[in-house]
Amino acid sequence: MDPFSAGQQDEEDSAIDLTPMLDVVFIMLIFFIVTASFIKEAGIDISRPQAETTEKQDRASIFIALSPSGEIWIDRRKVAPAQLKPTIEKLKAENPQGSVVIQADRESRSQQLMETLDAVRDAGITEVAISAEPF
Amino acid sequence: MKLLTQIRQQEEDSAIDLTPMLDVVFIMLIFFIVTASFLKEAGLTANKPDVQQAPPTEEAPSIVLRIASEGQVYLGPRRIDIRSVRPNIERLRAETPGAPVVVRAEDGARNHLIVDVMDAARQAGVMDVSLARAD
Repeated sequence: MDPFSAGQQDEEDSAIDLTPMLDVVFIMLIFFIVTASFIKEAGIDISRPQAETTEKQDRASIFIALSPSGEIWIDRRKVAPAQLKPTIEKLKAENPQGSVVIQADRESRSQQLMETLDAVRDAGITEVAISAEPF
Repeated sequence: MKLLTQIRQQEEDSAIDLTPMLDVVFIMLIFFIVTASFLKEAGLTANKPDVQQAPPTEEAPSIVLRIASEGQVYLGPRRIDIRSVRPNIERLRAETPGAPVVVRAEDGARNHLIVDVMDAARQAGVMDVSLARAD
């Protein structure tokens, strides 16, 4: 073996092979891109009513929270009842496939729930669910 | 000696420098990890009866439950206990299979009652419960 090739061999060994790490990083990147759904959270925490027959709402992207005091929250902002429909329409334009989940507090009033349901329907979204916690 | 440096120079040129791409990929990865929100939301699907929808006919009468503002549940004219909603719906469904269930809530009714009644109807096997405002 001549001294030249021996030196080259050493150099190749000292450089770490990045290919497996790159593979892992790319796979993670693709996973996170695919699972990213850009959910619009309501912004307030409410105490959900409990129910036995809840279904997982996987396609939900718009969350509307109704507080016990009668406030409506969408996308981390308080929304006036008159602004409900345009706000939902705007969010629907961003994610046309998403459905709506109304996170109504245990103690919120039916009137508000109905107004919100009407607004969601007027905005053209037919898939609506009322949030409930499984037992 | 001159020949060796020349060869090495060529070798370095032929290998593409991956560092900038790695930087970009890592920043994208971090962005998607940070924005990923694995939100688990459960809920009850709520239908809202269409205004244009045909009113219930003699052949297919719907089971209408009314929730008063004070929290009482009425099945037709009769006041029933919240725990007997499920057996009542089961009985009525046995009499008229396929009858839809409509929950009419008065404006002041609390949300947890609406969810309880919807849950009871779903437990009785009626998955498409309609929500409507009580006039």
